[in-house]
Amino acid sequence: MGIISVEKADRLYWLGRYTERVFTTVKFFFDTYDEMIDAHDDAYVNYCKRLNIPDIYGSKYVFARNYLFDEKDPNSVYSNLLRAYDNAVMVRDELSTITLSYLELSINLLKQCGSSGRPVYDFQQIIDYLYAFWGAMDDCVEDEECRNIVKVGRYQERLDLYIRFNYPVRSIHREFARLVNRLQHVRMHYNKEKLAELASYIENGDAWRERFNEAIACLCSIIYFESPAVG
Amino acid sequence: MYRKLVDHADDTNRLLARYGVKFGIYKNGEFKEQLFPYDPIPRIISRKEFDYLEAGLRQRVDALNAFLFDVYHDKNIIRDGIIPEDFVYSSKGYLPECEKITPPGNIYSHISGIDLVQAGDGTWYVLEDNLRIPSGASYPLIAREISRRVSPETFSETEIMPNRYYAAKLREMMDYVSTGGIHVIMTPGRYNAAFFEHSYLAERAGAVLAMPHDLLVEDNKLYYMDYTGEKQKVGAIYRRISDEYMDPMYFVPDSFIGVPHIMDVYKSGNVAMINAPGNGVADDKGIYYFVPKMVEYYLHEEPILHNAPTYLAFYEEDRKYILDHLRTLVVKDVSEAGGYGVVFGDKLTKEELKKLRQVILEEPRRFIAQEVIDFIDLNIMEGDEEVPRKADLRAFVLTGKETYVWPCGLTRFSRNPDSFVVNSSQGGGFKDTWVLSR
Repeated sequence: MGIISVEKADRLYWLGRYTERVFTTVKFFFDTYDEMIDAHDDAYVNYCKRLNIPDIYGSKYVFARNYLFDEKDPNSVYSNLLRAYDNAVMVRDELSTITLSYLELSINLLKQCGSSGRPVYDFQQIIDYLYAFWGAMDDCVEDEECRNIVKVGRYQERLDLYIRFNYPVRSIHREFARLVNRLQHVRMHYNKEKLAELASYIENGDAWRERFNEAIACLCSIIYFESPAVG
Repeated sequence: MYRKLVDHADDTNRLLARYGVKFGIYKNGEFKEQLFPYDPIPRIISRKEFDYLEAGLRQRVDALNAFLFDVYHDKNIIRDGIIPEDFVYSSKGYLPECEKITPPGNIYSHISGIDLVQAGDGTWYVLEDNLRIPSGASYPLIAREISRRVSPETFSETEIMPNRYYAAKLREMMDYVSTGGIHVIMTPGRYNAAFFEHSYLAERAGAVLAMPHDLLVEDNKLYYMDYTGEKQKVGAIYRRISDEYMDPMYFVPDSFIGVPHIMDVYKSGNVAMINAPGNGVADDKGIYYFVPKMVEYYLHEEPILHNAPTYLAFYEEDRKYILDHLRTLVVKDVSEAGGYGVVFGDKLTKEELKKLRQVILEEPRRFIAQEVIDFIDLNIMEGDEEVPRKADLRAFVLTGKETYVWPCGLTRFSRNPDSFVVNSSQGGGFKDTWVLSR
């Protein structure tokens, strides 16, 4: 294991969270957008509610444009991608320029495809780049702990989003197991009690859904860093 | 020989964007990161010309290193009347805190960026020595790598000296001066103009990219701190932070981007600092005038490279010449850098000339003046057309066990047809620099 500073560990963790946030919210967005084409114009309202982001959009058209592409909207996919990049660029020496290039490509593409009117089509390529980013990370990042810190962030974020979007229990269990597995491979401090508490919620079938807020709060307090980066 | 690179310029630019080859710029207080404009037409230097430049650059950097040692130790060059002491002690770059410090390997300028231009008759002139934190090597380094992918036949058909060893040489130099421990490239952070270079060179040289708060001094040693509290000794630190911000205990006291007590560690010989603090005294625009004299004094050799004809307002005779010829000279404020503080007499109004004259009289030490060298234009692509533009060359010289001249360099050009200023901070672009093998 190499030596990783607080700043770097923090960056790697948030890199994992933000790349996953882009990836998973875009996948959810695809479903919501599909629903909005010819079924429910206001499907986005529920989307915002589940993500706990303010509905500042007012119409499905504005939502489809601004939620994806608006740099000034702190909850937009673009903003999240920029935050992922801001963290990644600080750890180029660990990630490698090749790995980082997939985030560059995503941002460059996102800048170009703001008003095509085919957001799902446009974003497919970005999803592909994110897959490539993670693949490159596994392949190019030499330090195992660096990879694992990114994955801790990634699986924590995924679990958070799956809980919010009411995913099936088996998916929640799978992501929880992945998170626990990665936590065992890093030296970072985490709150074991909160982790156990979360386990007690989600191992109890569907009953935890009634305690949705507690589960999310629990998840959010598992990991902590001394100095936050672009969080 | 470079036609295919021009044809594939879009592909090259696409890859430069993909790899984030950017530089930062502050405009109206706002930080903006942008791609460094790249021109596909390389500057081409023949082998014979490079041999000449290599010998001259090596000689110049060796003399500058000897000067730095002397000026912070015995000061023979002052005592022997070669350089007036005023020039040394009034230089902003002279740091009394560095007196009597001998850096590992006796090397002060490990990475030197020497700016040259070529006049119409082929003569090369040194315009500036950058011995503090010269930047720019990463750009031709990555541009070459990309160009080779975009047009492999260009490189199989033309015998060009490889530039790919820069990072390995950097590493080798760090190994040589290291006091034992890891190598670190210290960056002030993401919003530094050259952040791309910091992170890219760290990756390529296998050094750790560190932020100032990742580093800690304990028991007079420098450590890189792990997030669990473990620490690792740093043997060589390539810092991309100016002297004045390096250590709040010695210099600017409210610097947030320094490492408290790092100067103590350096003083004790427990870390190699690249480049050494205090180098500013040797790349001062006023001291520049004396570099050919340093070559003669320390190396007992004839200087190979020429300075641009330079006048020091400090000397009465020169001052008179400057004031009499102000309209035809370029006047430089020695305390400025990055293309700032440079004025061309022929561009000034009567009123501005009058003001400049007054300031020169009031603060003669602050100014040098140079004849305007009509340096050759290099063609750049503007749309589908080749147009001539002013360009300089920043040559990189690494000093470790030996002094190594990188067979490449950063060729910067002005995008403005009426301007001599090539700095990226003022809108300039860059080219690769080819040194032909034969």
